[in-house]
Amino acid sequence: MRQTVRLFALLLRGYLRDRTALFFSLIVPLMLMVIFGYLNLGDFGRVTVAIDDQAKNQSSAQLVQILEGIPTLQVTELSTAEALTKLRRTELDMLIVIPKDFVIAPARPGQTVPELVVYGDDARPQQVAVGRQIVAQVIDRLSFAVTQTAPVVAVKDESVQGVRLRYVDFLVPGILGVNIMQLAIFSVAFALVADKQRGVLRRIMATPVRVPNLLAAHVLTRLVIATGQVAVLLLVALILFNVTIVGGLVPLVIVALLGTILFLTIGFALAGWATTENQVPAIAQLITLPQFFFSGVFFSKNAAPELIRPVTNLLPLTLLNDALREISVQGATLWDVRTQILGLLIWTVAGFILAVRLFRFEKF
Amino acid sequence: MPPIVQVNDLRKRYGDIEAVRGISFFVEPGEVFGLLGPNGAGKTTTVEILEGLRKADGGSANVAGVDVFSDPSGVKRRIGVQLQASAFPDNLTARETVRFFAACYDLEVDELALLRQVELEERAGQAQAKLSGGQRQRLSIATALVNQPQVLFLDEPTTGLDPQARRNLWDLIRGIQSRGTTVFLTTHYLDEAEILCDRVAIMDEGNIVALDPPRKLIDDLLNRGFTKPVLQQKANLEDVFLDLTGHEIRDA
Ligand SMILES: Nc1ncnc2c1ncn2[C@@H]1O[C@H](COP(=O)(O)OP(=O)(O)O)[C@@H](O)[C@H]1O
Ligand SMILES: [Mg+2]
Repeated sequence: MRQTVRLFALLLRGYLRDRTALFFSLIVPLMLMVIFGYLNLGDFGRVTVAIDDQAKNQSSAQLVQILEGIPTLQVTELSTAEALTKLRRTELDMLIVIPKDFVIAPARPGQTVPELVVYGDDARPQQVAVGRQIVAQVIDRLSFAVTQTAPVVAVKDESVQGVRLRYVDFLVPGILGVNIMQLAIFSVAFALVADKQRGVLRRIMATPVRVPNLLAAHVLTRLVIATGQVAVLLLVALILFNVTIVGGLVPLVIVALLGTILFLTIGFALAGWATTENQVPAIAQLITLPQFFFSGVFFSKNAAPELIRPVTNLLPLTLLNDALREISVQGATLWDVRTQILGLLIWTVAGFILAVRLFRFEKF
Repeated sequence: MPPIVQVNDLRKRYGDIEAVRGISFFVEPGEVFGLLGPNGAGKTTTVEILEGLRKADGGSANVAGVDVFSDPSGVKRRIGVQLQASAFPDNLTARETVRFFAACYDLEVDELALLRQVELEERAGQAQAKLSGGQRQRLSIATALVNQPQVLFLDEPTTGLDPQARRNLWDLIRGIQSRGTTVFLTTHYLDEAEILCDRVAIMDEGNIVALDPPRKLIDDLLNRGFTKPVLQQKANLEDVFLDLTGHEIRDA
């Protein structure tokens, strides 16, 4: 224990002096957050909707009127052809086609119900998802009103889940997740492989140091750095973007640390396998890039192609981002995100086994 | 006193290469022992086996009363090492580097006293990576002394140093010996072996081909009727160099 603490104190001191490492673990994530946050690159506060009203009856007019009244939606009336062109140019988020037979009335037996056709811009899945949800709710309300003869209002007051959410609120947990992954994998893999290649580890192994203590000191160093990183990112997010963190900070940090440990095991496994520094970036990118894109960092995880979504939903970073986001955005407790935590733990065990198998200080 | 290093029929091969071919020798406590040989002779392999860093294929080795093969940690606790190719952890000062190695032995040491011993006290706060070659070697010796070792292993300690730094290191090694530490060094510099070592083993292609005090090896050679083809000069170019540039160490 004493040995671990002493080694940790020195490793941490060395790490904090490493300007490049600090740059990558703090400045780059901050830049990502500021760029995506300011440019509102994934903003879905305004969903642009085109409506092609082919019915032109009382029911459709009612629907259009209600949709126009929802502040989240920016509604224009366009023909299907025009709207599709705009959709392809991503000038529109979605198109709703109201069919000729559209009517809000109780369905009679044997009669088919009218179908609303909704086209969405695949490049902006978040907006499309929100738009669809709103439309679905409006239709529900209208149908309910007809069948139960209740007033056809209340839609505007109904807060569809996610509508009130600003993009930065959604973004920040994703930025936390991706940086936990990058820091843990890259800092361990690069540092230890460099140490291995330069003979630092051999020199250390010429002492009777207890290897678990040395590894623990490396892990502790990264946990401290990761905690600092999370703290700085959250602080900047709060100050600069006034981000809302609905859930508790403690569960958020606990999940962040669980994620760090998970990715550290992967970093150690990678460091164990690699013998030269040039092998590290290639493999590290191979591990992190798919998660960068498919794990819901900047956009919804549903941006991943549907075909591979069963896989991408189980990626470590997806689990981590889900948990962070549910805590931060929806105010979930640790118990609420137990499924994701369980997933993270399973990955951690797998990573640990891999690391133990692969990690060697030397090859003699 | 029993030998402090005892090696019997030590063997090591890497695939097809027989790096060490059954060597036997011992080192007396308190002496400076030199393992001399050309590149690839098997010197590093031999010392790293004795340091508990590499596994041998056969034979036996005992260092400071501990069997190397069965208790490498026990050996590591009792010896100090300077590896031929190694580096220190990143971004630490000279003093922190010493502290790091003290922590590896789980010992508290007076870091400044150790640095003073290798004439690096003024550099205590300087980044380790910014030290000159000679300073780095001296720091390396300081880190090898943190556990007050019974045997100090130095693998080619003066390779790549300028003549002043080499002489400075020789003085340092003699000082360490005078405090009772056995020194086991490898070198391919013959002058170094002749000046520094009480006894030298000459190693070639994995075998020890001679083992004696340097003076005796030379006398034996002369007794075999050897004469140098050219007349021995009273001075050589190195003497000229040192006369012109002084014995003062340059990088301190
Ligand atoms: N790790 C290794 N793997 C394979 N061959 C090695 C290894 N280390 C040394 N050798 C070979 O063993 C021989 C002895 O090397 P070494 O002990 O380093 O000699 P020296 O230190 O005298 O230069 C050389 O032929 C070298 O190429
Ligand atoms: Mg060598």
